[in-house]
Amino acid sequence: MSINLFRVSLFFFLTLVMALPSLAGQPMEQIRETTDKIISIVGDQALKSPEKAKERKRLIRQAVDERFDWEEMSRRSLARHWKRRTEDEKKEFIYFFGKLLERTYLEQVENYSGEKVLYLNETVDGKGFGDVRIKIITKQETEIPVRYKVKKNGDGWYVYDISVEGRSLINNYRKQFQRMSYKKLIKQLKAKVAQE
Amino acid sequence: MKKFDIELAVGLFMVAGIICLGYLTIKLGKMEVLGDKGYELQAVFANSGGLKNGSPVVIAGVEVGRVKHIALDDYEAKVVMNLPLDVKIQEDAIASIKTKGLIGEKFVEISVGGSERILEPGDLIRETEPAVDLEQLISNYVFGKL
Repeated sequence: MSINLFRVSLFFFLTLVMALPSLAGQPMEQIRETTDKIISIVGDQALKSPEKAKERKRLIRQAVDERFDWEEMSRRSLARHWKRRTEDEKKEFIYFFGKLLERTYLEQVENYSGEKVLYLNETVDGKGFGDVRIKIITKQETEIPVRYKVKKNGDGWYVYDISVEGRSLINNYRKQFQRMSYKKLIKQLKAKVAQE
Repeated sequence: MKKFDIELAVGLFMVAGIICLGYLTIKLGKMEVLGDKGYELQAVFANSGGLKNGSPVVIAGVEVGRVKHIALDDYEAKVVMNLPLDVKIQEDAIASIKTKGLIGEKFVEISVGGSERILEPGDLIRETEPAVDLEQLISNYVFGKL
């Protein structure tokens, strides 16, 4: 009887141990997939010509959209403003905030010129949150630590915050947004996105 | 009879002095006598930048609590903070280590979130920003320029 019990528990223990690595390997794999996809778009010679710039931008945005949770990012950066918004206002904000990040960061991505990306490690807690640490090595051999904060949704892990050199993107925007009323904030956001 | 009165007065004076001394020690040393009022939250930072026990915890520039304990946990700094019960922290709050002025003392700043879920006593603030390492920034600048 006790031997049976021992066998059963050993079986469960082993299946658990076997199952763990495949579970733990997820967020970093998915970030790597997206990063590789973007690098291949940026490096694609066929898309380098000026008339293809729009197409290239669209493809990059599409790849980013697959991995980023824009709603979660908007919620976190609006913080206390978020609760008081109507559904339409939330949608509007998500759209313009996404556009702002696209303008600010995708331009950086387009300047990519063969920087190395090192995938360091990932941690996952039991509540569906995790983080992935990478390091970008520039041509001058400067190391830039980047940390993706990810949240699980179904099978995928979606990015809701990025820290560069320990500074959080969400906290940066949250602090700016808390200083003004929502009305002023959305006006400024629209103006910023509109200027080209 | 008269001698006894003087001795009593001196004794009372001494007792009053000791009580005052005890009060000052507790106040200045920021010790808690009747246990801790409030609750504890934890946060893990990649770099605590010399944060100390008793360093202030600040929300919107208002000091609301203190750092109770700092320990090394898997080569990162695990900070335990004590906050009053009426200060609720949302689960998407961000804790950052800041410096007063350019080279002043370190403190923890919490920027409040908008989540419906409030952290329970003993919970972990998941989002953190480590202390800025000024020397590292300078070296990045220097080597970045090469």
